[in-house]
Amino acid sequence: MSSPLGSWEGRLIGTIALGGLAALDATPVAQTLLSQPLVTATALGALWGDWQTAFEVGLVLQILAASTLPLGARTPEDYSTGGVVGVALALMAAQRIPFELYRQSCALLGVIAGLTAATLSVPLLKWQRRRHEGLSRWCEAAVRAGHPGALAAAHRAAIALAFAVAVAYCALWMMALPLVAGIAERESLRLSRAWTLAQPLWIGLGLAQLMHAFLQRRLARASLYGVALVVAWLVLILGTP
Amino acid sequence: MAKLRSWDLFRMALRALLLQSTWNYERQQGVGWAYSLEPALERLIPDPRKRCERLAEHTAYFNTQPTLASVALGVAAALEERREAGAPIDAAAMTRVKNALGSSLAATGDRLFWLTLRPLAACLGAMFAFGSLARGAAVFWLCYNVFHLSIRFMGVGWGYRGGPELVATRLRGGLERLTEWAGLAGCVVLGVFNAQLIAAGGTPRPLVFQLVLLAGIGVGFVVAQRPRPSATEWALGAAALCVTAAWARGA
Repeated sequence: MSSPLGSWEGRLIGTIALGGLAALDATPVAQTLLSQPLVTATALGALWGDWQTAFEVGLVLQILAASTLPLGARTPEDYSTGGVVGVALALMAAQRIPFELYRQSCALLGVIAGLTAATLSVPLLKWQRRRHEGLSRWCEAAVRAGHPGALAAAHRAAIALAFAVAVAYCALWMMALPLVAGIAERESLRLSRAWTLAQPLWIGLGLAQLMHAFLQRRLARASLYGVALVVAWLVLILGTP
Repeated sequence: MAKLRSWDLFRMALRALLLQSTWNYERQQGVGWAYSLEPALERLIPDPRKRCERLAEHTAYFNTQPTLASVALGVAAALEERREAGAPIDAAAMTRVKNALGSSLAATGDRLFWLTLRPLAACLGAMFAFGSLARGAAVFWLCYNVFHLSIRFMGVGWGYRGGPELVATRLRGGLERLTEWAGLAGCVVLGVFNAQLIAAGGTPRPLVFQLVLLAGIGVGFVVAQRPRPSATEWALGAAALCVTAAWARGA
């Protein structure tokens, strides 16, 4: 589980910076989905040299994030920082002991930390959006006064704020590492059992949201889904010719 | 009379990437909209005083789906060009067009990007991630951004050349067809992904895994019927349940 990408401190700084970058991609800049858990889990898996844990935690968070949508003025759970926090804590804790039950415990605690971080991040996002109200009023007044540069300045300020808040938030969560590792170490047997139950339950919860979005209670679509499921299952079980 | 050049449209598309940077509850994308439109106004209105007045008008409320905002920006730039050429378009008319474009594009864009393409890309990515996490992430990112970045960069030109009529007719029809096809593809991908979950690599997963997955899907369908509590909150509740069950069973 070693990574050629520098010292432990260097990787920690890289992880926290990734949290800031993910927060930028989520709303303020471009929305290219680089901030989604599957992508950030890949970056973190490479950074910490543990692809298995990154995949397991990233997959669960991604399935749940896929149906969490920024529609209209709604502020949904923030899976950009939640994804980084969850996967990073699981990876960092899992590095301590090379033992499967312990690794599964870390994965469980990582997902819980990711979900909690995504939920607790919502008030921070709302706070930033309220701050932007004052910024936009100032911006309009400055432009009316003949300073069009205020538009660029407002954007720089908003992007810097989003990055700084996300970096601080991720850094704060990284302080939970001793707690996560300690609990996983003491209760690895029970937590690994909980993981075997929680992993399919979480994936099922997320899948149902996706099925609801795609099938839309339309018989033709449900049939298409059913046929694809059966054919793929048969191909997997019987093997491709 | 000044006319917009391709370079101006490209600068607008680049700035539109920051459309949501200053998103707020009062004006939503208003300031980002004005910032994105600035390159067009720089070309069309040489008088700095008048240009600032026009820019300030554009900082008012605006909101739409961010990818398709590029199309609305192109339309607004075309209207500003006609306005500068003497067409009878005032600030109120511009606001009406912006609001109409915003709601029309939001309705189409939310369905296409948030409710269809993003879940489809996530399913495809998750499916490929079983073989290699990096490959899954790459498929996920590419599947979404083939459409997202293309429309973001080409949309300004479409809107500029087609005007408001384009949104009302051809573009809307085309995007709705794309949504329908992507939705059908999503059903197939979801089916294959489900099969992969219960028989990863050709070996059926343990019965407990399959039963709990089925239970999760059942609960998930109930959760999907209402906005609150959210799926994330349900997932946290499920975590508490699983940990409690593991503790109850003992070490």
